[in-house]
Amino acid sequence: MSEQIISMQGICKSYQMGGETLNVLKSVDFSVNKGEFTAILGPSGSGKSTLMNIIGCMDSFDSGTYLLNGIPIHEAKERDLVKIRNEQIGFIFQNYHLIPTYTVMQNIIMPLLMRGEDRKTAEKECQEVVEMLGLAERLQHKPSELSGGQRQRVAIARALCSKPSLLLADEPTGALDQNSGAEVLRLFTKLHEMGNTIVMITHDLNVAKWAERTVRIVDGEVFEDAG
Amino acid sequence: MRFSEILHLVRLNLTQNKFKVLLTSIGIIVGAATIVIVIAIGRGGKADVAEQFRNLNAGAIDISYEQAQSSGFSFGGGGEGMSFPGGGNMPDFSGGNFTPPSGGDFIPPSGGERPERGSGEISGRSGFFSGFGEMFGGMFGGDGETKNTQKITLTTDDMDDLATYVPGLSETTISYTTKQDIYGGNIEETESYTVAGTLSDYADLSNLSLLFGEYLTDADNENKSKVCVLGYSAAKAIFGSPEDAYDSLVYIDDRPYTVAGVLAEQGTVEAGISADEAIFIPYATGIKYLTGSDISPTITVIAADVNDIQTVIENVKAVLASSYPDAEFTISDAGSKMEAANKSNETLTLMLIAMASIVFVIGGIGIMNVLFVSVKERTKEIGILKAIGGSRKDILLEFLLEACCISMIGGVLGVLVSFLVSPVISTFSIRMEMSVTGAVLALCFSLVTGTVFGFYPAWKASKLVPVEALASE
Repeated sequence: MSEQIISMQGICKSYQMGGETLNVLKSVDFSVNKGEFTAILGPSGSGKSTLMNIIGCMDSFDSGTYLLNGIPIHEAKERDLVKIRNEQIGFIFQNYHLIPTYTVMQNIIMPLLMRGEDRKTAEKECQEVVEMLGLAERLQHKPSELSGGQRQRVAIARALCSKPSLLLADEPTGALDQNSGAEVLRLFTKLHEMGNTIVMITHDLNVAKWAERTVRIVDGEVFEDAG
Repeated sequence: MRFSEILHLVRLNLTQNKFKVLLTSIGIIVGAATIVIVIAIGRGGKADVAEQFRNLNAGAIDISYEQAQSSGFSFGGGGEGMSFPGGGNMPDFSGGNFTPPSGGDFIPPSGGERPERGSGEISGRSGFFSGFGEMFGGMFGGDGETKNTQKITLTTDDMDDLATYVPGLSETTISYTTKQDIYGGNIEETESYTVAGTLSDYADLSNLSLLFGEYLTDADNENKSKVCVLGYSAAKAIFGSPEDAYDSLVYIDDRPYTVAGVLAEQGTVEAGISADEAIFIPYATGIKYLTGSDISPTITVIAADVNDIQTVIENVKAVLASSYPDAEFTISDAGSKMEAANKSNETLTLMLIAMASIVFVIGGIGIMNVLFVSVKERTKEIGILKAIGGSRKDILLEFLLEACCISMIGGVLGVLVSFLVSPVISTFSIRMEMSVTGAVLALCFSLVTGTVFGFYPAWKASKLVPVEALASE
């Protein structure tokens, strides 16, 4: 049996909306094996972003158990979650979420700096990723000086630099044109082939097709592989 | 995250928002500049006081006598005409015999003669008149005794008595001043000058230094020589320059006096004789040729230990009381005057510092507001940092350091501004003594303001939930 990176059992999440309880996730069971490239496919309002936030340890859940790389997230405290986000998860956001005032290099090495590494060591560690993503010429640029595709590559570089056990991508091609989107997805495939575990949230079936496994989420319930 | 990296991020954020930093720190700039200027003014005031009192020895005690005014109808004094004695006593009609209605001892009225021990006193505190007397006593001075009704002229004998009977004195001297008409040198018409009759030790006791010649000697006093020492301004006014004045003749009350010396410039003084404008002559010479016995001299005694001044004053009072039982002498010590002047100066400085503190609080509130806006603006950035592993401590420290840096920048600029502004303020005849202490204090105030007022926004930033921060627009 392959090693599980994500193991969720009976995850429930609800919000209070004007006196009414909105059940966003209804006893979700979801698991991802190491090295898998999984797409979570769902329409707007299906709960996929909530699921992604919970997987990324950025949001709490009401009940259920969640093990990330064997770590019981349901028991973790805020301080532990900070460490887990930094060491276990590489985030790739739809809108890149780069810090506009920092250069490309400063953005990329930020997770390593957060970990307590010094600037020089961090830059050295990121060199390989930077070259692989073709960003070597752009390191001193600001995000505003880059194209959408380049920005997303910077975001991917930032996610990879910390050598996480899970790459978590939220609509990674949502803000890109078709070519740039395809370029990013090819990169994901390459990263998958290199052994990275990727979970990608998308509403687009064509994007989901790039993943080796697709999971549908509808009204807060997860259904295994539609394909 | 390493502290050096947080500092690096802070520097990055500040350098990319220079104008915002400047605007944010305006309150602190004003506050810091105010602190430095206020302290400089305070120090300047203190230096002024020190300068104005520099002709006074800290242990100096001046003793003088003022006769009470007694023309016609008067309260609280004896002498000629009708008078009411001081509080607590029965009315006294001087020159006539008056018996108190009840309970009082009959005391012969005082009539302007030199008092003997107990003379001029009327006691009798019972009954209606007692209260009446107390009321008037409270209103018009006196202490249940008839004071200063006689003409008393302090003499060198009194000075010798004090030197002999008061322990703890290092030196004593006596002096007086009088206004006299002067001519000589370049003066075409007579002019009125202050002439001071002094002994030879006056210059040392008053810290006077000479530019030319020498001060008056004991021999000058004994021989009643017609010599004088001119103050710096007087010498310039009369002869054009101190050099020309030396060894020249100046006419005081139509008698020629040889200028034996000229004093160095002393500057404005708050107490004692203003030496620059004065002409100093031997004590006995003045009495013989100018004033006769019609003078009110001041005896100056120097306490050997400034901490014993109060004891010395009590002893001086006791010795004088044995010679002049009914007289109340005016006794003032230089230390108290200096202390009072310094105290009022310190009060003013404290008040100004309080005002500067208010400016700081306002500046601090400004910083807090801007930081709140900054946190709002950078909510997404905070969310990103938290998503990629930024801890609460890192975020708190980053924003707090930003606040501290902004206020320190404000502090440094404020200190610079104060140094630029001080020459302008000095043109308004306000003396300023800029100091490192003032600058350091201003920087400390700035830092504290930044830390205190920056903490809350920084804490709010650190508490942001990453998913909510990322979702913010």
